[in-house]
Amino acid sequence: MNNSPIIAENLVRHFGDVHAVKGINLDIKAGEVFGFLGPNGAGKSTAVRMLTTLLRPTSGSARVAGFDVVTEADQVRRNIGVALQDAAIDPLMTGAELLALQGVLYGIPGSALKQRSNELLERVGLTAAASRRVSTYSGGMRRRLDLALSLIHQPSVLFLDEPTTGLDPMSRLTLWEEVRRLNREGTTVMLTTQYLEEADQLADRIAIIDHGKIVREGKPADLKAGVGAPTLIINTNTDQVEKANAVLSTFGDLRPGAEGALGVGLRGGAAQVTEVVRKLDEAGVRVQHLEINEPSLDDVFAEATGHRLEGADNAPSAGDNGEEEPSKKKRRGRK
Amino acid sequence: MTDVVATPPTLIAEHSIAAAFRQTIALAKRSTLELFRQPALVVPSIIFPLFFAFLGNSSFGRTTSLPGFPKVNSYLQFQLAGTITQGVLFGSVTGAAALATDIENGFFYRLLAAPTARTSILFGRLAGSTLFGALETAVFVLVLLPFGADVSAGLPGIIAMILSGALIALAVGALMSSVALKTGSAEAVQGTFPLLFILLFFSSAFFPRETMSGSYKTIAGINPISHLVEGLRALSLEGFSISATARAILVPLAIAVAALLVANRQLQMRLRAN
Repeated sequence: MNNSPIIAENLVRHFGDVHAVKGINLDIKAGEVFGFLGPNGAGKSTAVRMLTTLLRPTSGSARVAGFDVVTEADQVRRNIGVALQDAAIDPLMTGAELLALQGVLYGIPGSALKQRSNELLERVGLTAAASRRVSTYSGGMRRRLDLALSLIHQPSVLFLDEPTTGLDPMSRLTLWEEVRRLNREGTTVMLTTQYLEEADQLADRIAIIDHGKIVREGKPADLKAGVGAPTLIINTNTDQVEKANAVLSTFGDLRPGAEGALGVGLRGGAAQVTEVVRKLDEAGVRVQHLEINEPSLDDVFAEATGHRLEGADNAPSAGDNGEEEPSKKKRRGRK
Repeated sequence: MTDVVATPPTLIAEHSIAAAFRQTIALAKRSTLELFRQPALVVPSIIFPLFFAFLGNSSFGRTTSLPGFPKVNSYLQFQLAGTITQGVLFGSVTGAAALATDIENGFFYRLLAAPTARTSILFGRLAGSTLFGALETAVFVLVLLPFGADVSAGLPGIIAMILSGALIALAVGALMSSVALKTGSAEAVQGTFPLLFILLFFSSAFFPRETMSGSYKTIAGINPISHLVEGLRALSLEGFSISATARAILVPLAIAVAALLVANRQLQMRLRAN
């Protein structure tokens, strides 16, 4: 018998004519951090909602923490922690009040609850802000509180739905560190993200989902190695695209570039760059910008789907010091 | 990494009626705290009915001598029941709108993702509205009493009025919560406000049915708000009696039971839709 804490078999969800999830299979082992990577609308959140009992599958089955998500939904809820991107934290309550409420919902007795709340507040660095209303918290503080709320009952399986979307790089790093720490302590984590770096940094294994289907699955290193050749990206005038592609295609398979860019997987490796530039020059192609990238998850994504991961270029790197993005607004409720 | 499911945490109690009750209390506490942390929502539902009461007392004070008007010490004594009903109606819309906001912003789904008894989500919200209804009733009585809004039934009558006000809040809150659960839209819930206002004016909240005529009297006669108001008014005008108390309590109780059934059905439908 398969004892994996998250198992999905041919999981399908339709919303009328919209086929949001088209038969996904998952087998996430205990102690793994599993990244679910895909653009907005790929079906990540719908899949997570089914696995966390918030949505009934149209067909297929799933077991989480050893229980069926449809017939044993209550047992599933008792054993998982869930931090959903679009489940707001009540801004009128304080952090401590919300933890106390969450504890009661999980049936944690008063004395243990107080101790657990204090532990979690300290763990996520919110002890000083515990008695402040959430409306005064920054985006990063809210996400940390959200994480603390999802951990109140010491779940064995944790679902994090785009936990760092909209966060500044520092807050992102803090959250990553906490996810790693939880995982070291034995928690199985399923993480959805649209950020390549996040999946690369955190996940032991990832699945790439696009248009409701898992198109690639494996360890990040293996997936990248599978792409093989490095990608040469060039930018040129729009009227020279056809000519440039004709030259590039003689060096390897064309790969989709970001908006306006052309890409090719160099069969002969990075050493071919000089020759490519010479051939482009001979063909009269004026190169405005050129870069060579070792295979990345974006290349894996592009190779699997034929397009680059939407928004990947906009994700602030954890090494940057960018401003916090506005939170992404999503439709909620009856999906 | 190991290939075993981690041991479920031992902190969690099994699902039980006691657990559901504790969840309802905790959610009611949240609902009440939320209300009082938004004075801009709470204060108008107390101030405006008082304003209408004083305005009515000045404008319609002499109507108490009209044929068919019950024997009262002042118009305010007659109006007290209408003021309570008005305030409680508006307060209950606020509570239901908060439930719709929970659905809109996703807090509702946070509760669903936890092992929360589904009925606790509804009853917790309604318990907050019910408590607020009781509080509003007490405030209206205390404020209007010195200005001539006597309660003939005395202290037992005031207690019965507070209980009745709470039940009216529960009944209206449950009906409005049905709208919240059906639509998931705070705007839709607030959109019922003019309808409530019309229902209030087509009831016996401001004048006795005995002074009305024609279709207006017919509408007021079938308008449930008239019956809610008149139950309360019996305590205010007739003195304390079992029949007056029963009327003040049983009418809103019956409506509350029916409204709760409707609200629970809407909750189940929303859950099934997911």
